[in-house]
Amino acid sequence: TAASSPSSVSTRSKAAGFDLKTYWANLMVQINQKLDEAIPVQFPPQIYEAMRYSVLAKGAKRAPPVMCISACELFGGSRLAAFPTACALEMVHAASLIHDDLPCMDDSPSRRGQPSNHTIYGVDMAILAGDALFPLGFRHIVSQTPSDLVPESHLLRVIAEIARSVGSTGMAAGQFLDLEGGPNAVGFIQEKKFGEMGESSAVCGGFLAGAEDDEIERLRRYGRAVGVLYAVVDDIIEERLKVEGDGDRKNKGKSYAEVYGVEKAIEKAEELRAKAKEELDGFEKHGERVFPLYSFVDYAFDRSFSVDDASG
Amino acid sequence: EIQLQDTPLNFDFKGYMIAKAHTVNQALDAAIALRDPHKIHQAMRYSLLAGGKRVRPVLCIAACELVGGTEATAIPAACAVEMIHTMSLIHDDLPCMDNDDLRRGKPTNHKVYGEDVAVLAGDALLAFAFEHVAASTEGVSPSRVVRAIGELAKSIGTEGLVAGQVVDIDSEGVANVGLETLEFIHVHKTAALLEAAVVLGAIVGGGSDEEVEKLRKFARCIGLLFQVVDDILDVTKSSEELGKTAGKDLVADKVTYPKLLGIDKSKEFAQELLKDAKEQLSGFDPPKAAPLFALTNYIAYRQN
Repeated sequence: TAASSPSSVSTRSKAAGFDLKTYWANLMVQINQKLDEAIPVQFPPQIYEAMRYSVLAKGAKRAPPVMCISACELFGGSRLAAFPTACALEMVHAASLIHDDLPCMDDSPSRRGQPSNHTIYGVDMAILAGDALFPLGFRHIVSQTPSDLVPESHLLRVIAEIARSVGSTGMAAGQFLDLEGGPNAVGFIQEKKFGEMGESSAVCGGFLAGAEDDEIERLRRYGRAVGVLYAVVDDIIEERLKVEGDGDRKNKGKSYAEVYGVEKAIEKAEELRAKAKEELDGFEKHGERVFPLYSFVDYAFDRSFSVDDASG
Repeated sequence: EIQLQDTPLNFDFKGYMIAKAHTVNQALDAAIALRDPHKIHQAMRYSLLAGGKRVRPVLCIAACELVGGTEATAIPAACAVEMIHTMSLIHDDLPCMDNDDLRRGKPTNHKVYGEDVAVLAGDALLAFAFEHVAASTEGVSPSRVVRAIGELAKSIGTEGLVAGQVVDIDSEGVANVGLETLEFIHVHKTAALLEAAVVLGAIVGGGSDEEVEKLRKFARCIGLLFQVVDDILDVTKSSEELGKTAGKDLVADKVTYPKLLGIDKSKEFAQELLKDAKEQLSGFDPPKAAPLFALTNYIAYRQN
């Protein structure tokens, strides 16, 4: 944008050469392994199996944990400090998705290309699996974060942030409005359902690394923009498939591209991309450590590679 | 035959409970304001502020004060435990779970707000409980607050509440449920959260490791005692005396202590638990331990 300083332009162009695909793939392997270890099957086995089924689902891209780790590394924080929180984000995210899919909610028979949790384990177990994944996420942060890397006061901010983002003014509010519908609800729903997740992922990484308050606010705006950008682009892709006669969207009126048209959605996506990058310009002093977060924005916009292929 | 010999005669238990419950109710009311979207917050408040004896939060405050902490220090943790208890009741009452229409004499949450909102209100209460302890506990070192959060999380997940509910669901309609399974259900479904209430209070109150572990043992005893007494009352009292349907466990074909042990042995077991619980309190300063002695007697000798 015109407002960018010459140095930020150069940071941006250098960031364009960053190999996000390899970075993401490496992190994904580690995150999947840590999630696998975090939920060993104990007694009573079926609840652990139900939790593992959703958390370890093959189609999960692990975008929230990757963003959390990138944000932590931006401030020189160790990846080891961020893994437990990164895993917790996936756990609470999975819990929300399991409950969203329930017959009394969205009544979705499938998720990430496989049958939804309740169709395999029953509605009662699906509710309990979600109820157990929320606290497991918090417990995982408390018990697994190396205490020599992160002071407890930072952990408290992380816990409060994740709880806020999934709570009654965050993702739960988004799901509620999604169910209620109403005119012009789509923008708000995407802010709450996707923006909150991106926001809390980025902010938690900052908290873990001990970022300053103004840097946290910057991460907050960045994460929210990327989260919504991701959802808007998903909507555009789906809307285009629909035009080609291949789409099968039952969430009528919940897609930005469907409600406002593809043109307008692309404009919105471009706006969000610019906004997210502008926030990152404020992190220039951190040098190339900002590259992953930059390339993340471009990936959210143009989907230049398939994360599933990246994980090999 | 009510025995209150461990409690100093001048301790006004009824007054104590009323005062503490009032404080807790005010704190809960203030903790969850009516924000946007209104309906979710209304649903959360509907169940959270529906009354109840507030046994868990009072236990939390009493444990905190016993080890030298103040009431104000324990309030966020006390509220969090009640929020978790409430969310488990909301989800338990759902049609796909126990399918109950009434709770504490009022229509259940999903009857009023719909199943979808009831699921979300429960999830939101769960999340908020953690936010509340993390963000609102004052005058306690971060390491103690983090420890308290770990304890709370453990008590409600697959090593606590949820484990108890899963085994409870599994054992429904099963003919040969044994004593071990019954104890597993109650230790996880009921005792775990009572334990969390007491242990959280002791941790934020500044208790030593030894004090925390003593109070943990105490809480496990009264948690199981709570359930044994519940089972006994279900077969010995009328619906009118209980204020809820008597004999419900028999009709539902649920396994209970009287069914497995008989009434007399169940009463003996309750006496044993009562004795064990009080033993854990014996090392503490008697005047300071009076509320927990009285709460223990209340749990053992309540008539409904």
